[in-house]
Amino acid sequence: MDLNALIAVMIILPIASALFLNLLHKKDRTIKIIAIITAVVLPIIPLLTPYGSHFFGGYLPLAQNSTLAQGLPAIITGTQLSQFHLGIMYVFSSAQQLMIFILGIITFFAIFTFINETKKPSGVYAFLLFMGTASLSAILLSDDIFNLFVFFEIAALAQVGIVVASGIKDNYETALKYILIGNIAGPLLLLGIVMLLGVTGNVNVTDMIFSIKNGFVDPQSPVLLMALSLITFGWLYASGLPPFHTIKSEVYSKALPHGAALIQAFSVFTLVAIGIIIIRLFSYNPFTHIAIIGISVIAMILGITMALMQTDYKRILGYLAVGELGYIGIGLGLGTALGITAGLFQAINESVITSFLFIGFGTVLYKTRTSDTKKLGGMMYVNPKVALLVLLAGLAMAGVPPLNAFQSKLMLIQASIQSGLPEIGIIMILLSIVTFMTFMKAFYTVYMRPKPKELEVLDNKIPKSTIISLVAFLIICITLGLFPQIATSSLQTLAAGLV
Amino acid sequence: MREVQKKAEEDQPITNITASAMLAAELTLIASVLVAVIMVRLIHPVLMIIMIAAVLIIAVMARPIMPRLRKEQNDDLNNMMFYIVVALGIVVALFYWGNLNV
Repeated sequence: MDLNALIAVMIILPIASALFLNLLHKKDRTIKIIAIITAVVLPIIPLLTPYGSHFFGGYLPLAQNSTLAQGLPAIITGTQLSQFHLGIMYVFSSAQQLMIFILGIITFFAIFTFINETKKPSGVYAFLLFMGTASLSAILLSDDIFNLFVFFEIAALAQVGIVVASGIKDNYETALKYILIGNIAGPLLLLGIVMLLGVTGNVNVTDMIFSIKNGFVDPQSPVLLMALSLITFGWLYASGLPPFHTIKSEVYSKALPHGAALIQAFSVFTLVAIGIIIIRLFSYNPFTHIAIIGISVIAMILGITMALMQTDYKRILGYLAVGELGYIGIGLGLGTALGITAGLFQAINESVITSFLFIGFGTVLYKTRTSDTKKLGGMMYVNPKVALLVLLAGLAMAGVPPLNAFQSKLMLIQASIQSGLPEIGIIMILLSIVTFMTFMKAFYTVYMRPKPKELEVLDNKIPKSTIISLVAFLIICITLGLFPQIATSSLQTLAAGLV
Repeated sequence: MREVQKKAEEDQPITNITASAMLAAELTLIASVLVAVIMVRLIHPVLMIIMIAAVLIIAVMARPIMPRLRKEQNDDLNNMMFYIVVALGIVVALFYWGNLNV
């Protein structure tokens, strides 16, 4: 068996499962079994798959494919054209392995929580969760920028679907707004890709880089610069960086906790995937790094200060998640091996911690049906164990040792100092303190202050699966905090290749 | 209806928590922007000094900034669209025009 075929299975399996689940109605047991089996298998596949490439349709470059090259004129086989990739190519290395594994873990716990918190699990909702995961896996793997765009659109639709399915007040309006905004940003991203295709004659990122680096394309071509600006704009939309931070945080707040956990993971990994492509293609242009750093600093400041002003804890988490995206962007923007490794490590950590927080705080919604901190209080007495877990998640997000974000934030500060930009390190420390303060404000109002008389706490018991999910996230946080090299060793190769 | 609802929310009494959060956000914003402006030293130290002075003056003149920022960063689609179009203009101008002409 060709084990590299498992690269494609990482996308095909969740899509197949999603399509099948979509067909099941009122077959709760079958939905549960299929969803759990798929969710268990998802994180296992990347661990079994050997590193390498997968060529869809078997279309290797002509230089490696003598059968296909036979009989073709020398103008094709004897020139650079023979090195170009003919079909869609997926690349799987240690960094993709780690990211898809973490995405699989988050999907598993989102599905696990969803199935146990919902009396009648919907096949359509599971379809949306799996389609989103499949799309993100493809975005992380694809070396073909048009293929990436297609999956990016599917992921955006899956996110809209998750919001529509939540049943939370005003969710339809948020979903519609996200679609309308996507109708501006999505086509502009596509236009950028089309411009790249027009200039380089290719949609394969490796081939495009070859064309730019070897003088086949003028790096200062106005069309190329316009493509860079449009792709950067699409990247802002995809990841929820400013000016899309408001709608993205609103999307998080209008999804159910397990859905929000997954949507934020989608944002984090899209930021990483498209950010890496921007760096690979345009790192020759020093302004690219300056722009990424500038956008990231704005995201950190706006995200975290806006979080402080919110009174809905889901919105607080949404804005904090946007603020944390800025840290990842800083790492990528610094452009050094240490900076990029730290940024990627922060992406792994943030996706885990924010999922931890969304599912943890989600228990409050489960017990009270409200997320308004003005109406909440005294939840510590209702479930002290969950309160402790949520507190630890908040400490992790703020970067308190020995939890994981401490390591990645410390690496980011070191990288910024090494790059001659200690100011960024100072801003990161300042905003980490404010993140902690924002979290404690939410924690105090929800858990620690006296319970308001009018607050009604429902009798429904928090499912054990939710507690298990939270403990599992905590174990990941502690493990990566004590042994960061587990993650960094997988990410260093990719980071070194980008410098 | 929405506007009335929002107005009603605005008229709710200010608590200690909201007041301290607003103050903390204001200080964080000013401090972060001031530290970020120090990076202008890489272009020219004199420009950095001028920009720091300008930021300080704006911060004093325009305070409190956070209530205005919050008002602007709301969930209204028109507002979102406005800032998206502004951001698109800035990104395109910086990448395209900036690279070709500076």
